[in-house]
Amino acid sequence: MNRKNLGLFLIIGAAVLASGCASLGVKPWQRDLLSRQDMQLNGNALDDAIDDHLYFSKEASSGGRSFAGGGCGCN
Amino acid sequence: MQLKRDEGGVRHRLIAASCALLSASAGRTEEAPNTSIARALSDWSLDSALAYYHEDGRVQVIEPVVSVSKSYGDGASVGLNLTVDALSGASPNGASPSRMPQTFASPSGKSFTGGKHTYTTAPGDLPEDPHYSDLRAALGADWRLPLERLLTASFGAKISYEDDFYSGSANASIARDFNQKNTTVSFGASYEADSLHPIGGTPVPLSNYALFEKTGNQSKNGAGLLLSLTQVMSRNWLSEVNLSLDRFSGYLNDPYKIISVIDAGGDVRGYVYENRPDTRTRRSVYLDNRVAWERSSAGLSLRYMTDDWGIHSETVQLHLQWWTAERDKYVQPTLRWYRQSAANFYTPWLFGFTAPELSSASSDSRLAGLQALTYGLKYGIKLRDKLGRESSEFNVRIEYYQQTQENGLPGPGALRGLDLYPDLKAILVQLGFSY
Repeated sequence: MNRKNLGLFLIIGAAVLASGCASLGVKPWQRDLLSRQDMQLNGNALDDAIDDHLYFSKEASSGGRSFAGGGCGCN
Repeated sequence: MQLKRDEGGVRHRLIAASCALLSASAGRTEEAPNTSIARALSDWSLDSALAYYHEDGRVQVIEPVVSVSKSYGDGASVGLNLTVDALSGASPNGASPSRMPQTFASPSGKSFTGGKHTYTTAPGDLPEDPHYSDLRAALGADWRLPLERLLTASFGAKISYEDDFYSGSANASIARDFNQKNTTVSFGASYEADSLHPIGGTPVPLSNYALFEKTGNQSKNGAGLLLSLTQVMSRNWLSEVNLSLDRFSGYLNDPYKIISVIDAGGDVRGYVYENRPDTRTRRSVYLDNRVAWERSSAGLSLRYMTDDWGIHSETVQLHLQWWTAERDKYVQPTLRWYRQSAANFYTPWLFGFTAPELSSASSDSRLAGLQALTYGLKYGIKLRDKLGRESSEFNVRIEYYQQTQENGLPGPGALRGLDLYPDLKAILVQLGFSY
């Protein structure tokens, strides 16, 4: 994916999300499944941190899910 | 990346301290729930893990992690986390295998004679510094602060210390809920400042390895932006998309990596230190989806990242989770696939000591085109207190990681037939406890 395609993808994606978000969602009393720990986006924060540190030191990409900071000097 | 030999004692002390913490935390579950200590701790949660990472024939790492956080009734929270890494073993120095034995100096060495500061790689083997060791400690803090009913601010800071590397970073973000809290948009910024103090000094980029030309300490810094949209799609489906942009500038080299200089016949003529551009700008798109069913759930994340070094990468990660009917045990398999293209200055070797057209060059395999697979499995047990409430969790996790270099240049002359790009195979075992 080159830079132009990436920009187009982002613009179209943002437009689709913005127009569709208002009709999506649940009522407050329908959040039983969403409140479970395994549905939290940072529910495995420690596992993610340990994995991210491993991948940071073995691959050229890092971050994306959240801010990457305080890393080692190994890459 | 300090290079000293005796880290065994440190590793053993780390293991002992981590086990003591895990067992002490477990003991708390036996306390009567109405004691003043239990009441004082009721809003606190603890998450801890002890990870052991082992590469086939290379480094091993012991990593204890402890995170504590306190939640307040108004939605505010504070958290602290401490990570320690003790690393030892052998690490590739960037040079290529050869038909001849190759002798290298350790970073603190000043010549190729004298056994203490040199090491020799056997013919056909990938050159690795066998005395690689490092001890890292990192302390992080975060603070979440509701500003009004639909607006939340978050702040974070982290410091990290190694003998040859200090790092400090801070971030701040603001999140706004819409659509009955089914949509959340957040925007944040981060800044990082690093100071590098390579063992034996910082090598002059692209200088002849045999001349031991070293200079003083270096620094780099970076800033990043993160825009995030989280959307509840349905009663059992949550989706998130993140856009990130960051830029680092300063000394971005690995000061311990060299490049083989070979002739047309594939024979080694010497080595030079690597040199990378002094800026790097990265962009990424990250998409995460979570879907829940009665006794199971699934998570699928996709990431596309690109930078101005010519690296493009794609990551796909899938994890599934199944619970028992009592919801007291679960099993979670994970599969991750990763692929990256090579940096445009990556080269496994050079044909000459002076290459004016080359402003940057690195043979670091982490900048090569590669593909990696991770297979993981996690098993967790929920423990209940005397009132039958879910109070804590023990878990064990194991992962197998295999990295394969792609599109490696064929070796000329004498290098033909050698395994120039050996696979990296590693295993991670992790014990966890949360309360």
